[in-house]
Amino acid sequence: MTAPAGAQPPPRAKAPDPAANFYVRSLVRSQLRLALSVALGFLVALVGLALLLALWPDIYRLRLFTIPLPWIALGIGVYPLMLATAILFNRAAARNEARYRKIARQ
Amino acid sequence: MNTALSLAAIAAVCAATALIAINGLRISRTTDDFYVASRTVRPWWNASAIGGEYLSAASFLGVAGLIVLAGQDALWFPIGYTAGYLMLLLFVAAPLRRSGAYTLPDFAQIRLGGRAVRTTTGALVVVVGWLYIVPQLHGAALALGIAAGAPGWVGAGLVMTVVCVTVLSGGMRSITFVQAFQYWLKLVSLAVPLVFVLLRLGATGISPTAEGAAFGPGPATGAGFGLYGTISLILALLLGTLGLPHVLVRFYTNPDGPSARRTTVLVVGLLSLFYLLPIAFGILGRTFATDLPEAGTADATVLLVPERILGGTAGDLLGALVLGGAFASFLSTSSGLVVSVAGVISQGLFRGTVRGFRIATVLSCTVPLALALVSGSNALAGSVGAVFAFTASTLCPLLLLGIWWRGLTSAGAVAGMVTGAIACGTALLSAAAFPDLPPPARDLFSQPAAWTIPLAFAVMVGASRATRARGEEAIDRVMARLHTPES
Repeated sequence: MTAPAGAQPPPRAKAPDPAANFYVRSLVRSQLRLALSVALGFLVALVGLALLLALWPDIYRLRLFTIPLPWIALGIGVYPLMLATAILFNRAAARNEARYRKIARQ
Repeated sequence: MNTALSLAAIAAVCAATALIAINGLRISRTTDDFYVASRTVRPWWNASAIGGEYLSAASFLGVAGLIVLAGQDALWFPIGYTAGYLMLLLFVAAPLRRSGAYTLPDFAQIRLGGRAVRTTTGALVVVVGWLYIVPQLHGAALALGIAAGAPGWVGAGLVMTVVCVTVLSGGMRSITFVQAFQYWLKLVSLAVPLVFVLLRLGATGISPTAEGAAFGPGPATGAGFGLYGTISLILALLLGTLGLPHVLVRFYTNPDGPSARRTTVLVVGLLSLFYLLPIAFGILGRTFATDLPEAGTADATVLLVPERILGGTAGDLLGALVLGGAFASFLSTSSGLVVSVAGVISQGLFRGTVRGFRIATVLSCTVPLALALVSGSNALAGSVGAVFAFTASTLCPLLLLGIWWRGLTSAGAVAGMVTGAIACGTALLSAAAFPDLPPPARDLFSQPAAWTIPLAFAVMVGASRATRARGEEAIDRVMARLHTPES
């Protein structure tokens, strides 16, 4: 049941260091807070869209080049939103890591 | 469809796949090469490879087929398939890469320790991988049946043979090149016919949407899923991607955490670009392929639309191009799954040697082939959705809680995964065995994700609270490894 070399963690952290552990914990907390809030925002947008389409049937009369607005929103509109969310999250996560690096070096 | 051209297109895709794989043979020598391409793959290559691997029969054929069947509700499928990568980016990409694990069982062992959790995870990865290969083979059987009138076992057998040879000859390194090539092949093989189809419709003054009539409700056979069904489906697709073994194995080939994140952002972009095409084909199919749902071959929409609109030699040529792309999607997803399942089996049973990997590869090709031959074909997007619900209820809680919650214990992880597997598996099997259940029970069983995912999470957290974790020091070490930047 052995994994190939490299699957076992090489000991990156040396002796237990309370200060270092504190920094790691606050990094994990800030990354989790970031990920959860982005995920929540995205979910609210998706569920809101689903509810809007379910509760406002007249929206089907709005058409662009014969295509109803709901089809445009679900078939095209959601994708740029996802890509923008991904890019912004990636920047923010990298910023959190840069801040950690700065603090941990001191 | 023109039989000779169709067979030529399939032969060309199979030959190109094998050729690239065999060229990879020269540079793949060590065990490391076999498993993760020595971790030197650049984000663009890796993102194309992930896209190539992920866009399966369900995406290439199933999305358009479902749009013809169910109309607007079907648009949630590609949204879910893409948003799954957003969730992967938010919660899993960088920490998973930093864990340094080759496979999910490796991750479970590094994070939690102990054999039980490793074995449980390994068994689930193998089950998920095999179940996911089956719809690919059904897709191949359908495509070869439509194109050349071949019986079902020919298409399924052909795909599994090419996959087996490809994986045996080069392992992961050549697979990365093959997959990256296949993403672009799939994109082009849908984009070029679509452009020609739209130009022809424009020139002859026929509206591609039948003046908007294409957007009406679907035929009665495949009416929408209802609100509960839609929400359950979105949850399954969002969270199921997190546990897909052939997707996760790709993250180990990134050089470091930030590049794993960049790769995932690129994947979201590549998928967004691709899904516009099957959606467009689905809308065309609602005008030009309305007879398919009744024949039970709605999934063939993408294959038949070019021929029906263009006709003649142009229609035959472009139809053959689409067929080639479809075979690329069966081949790429199946080979990705075979690599990851074989990796897990060979580590578990054969101590991770190259010879063990080869035995495991043959094993992971034959079992799903047998399953595909004895099982009937469903709507492709639907049967893949069931696999997503299963991974979301088993492997996804392990990953999310393992990465973000210090309190997870190995007993808790096993309890949660087993509960999720039993609940979701039983629900899906009963839905398949008793199709005539009354409405509330039928929806709960056929779309179980909305209740089995919370159940698996709750059991995992509850059982972890009741058992003792590893020492604080060990958890500190692992958390630092997962979350701190490399340099």
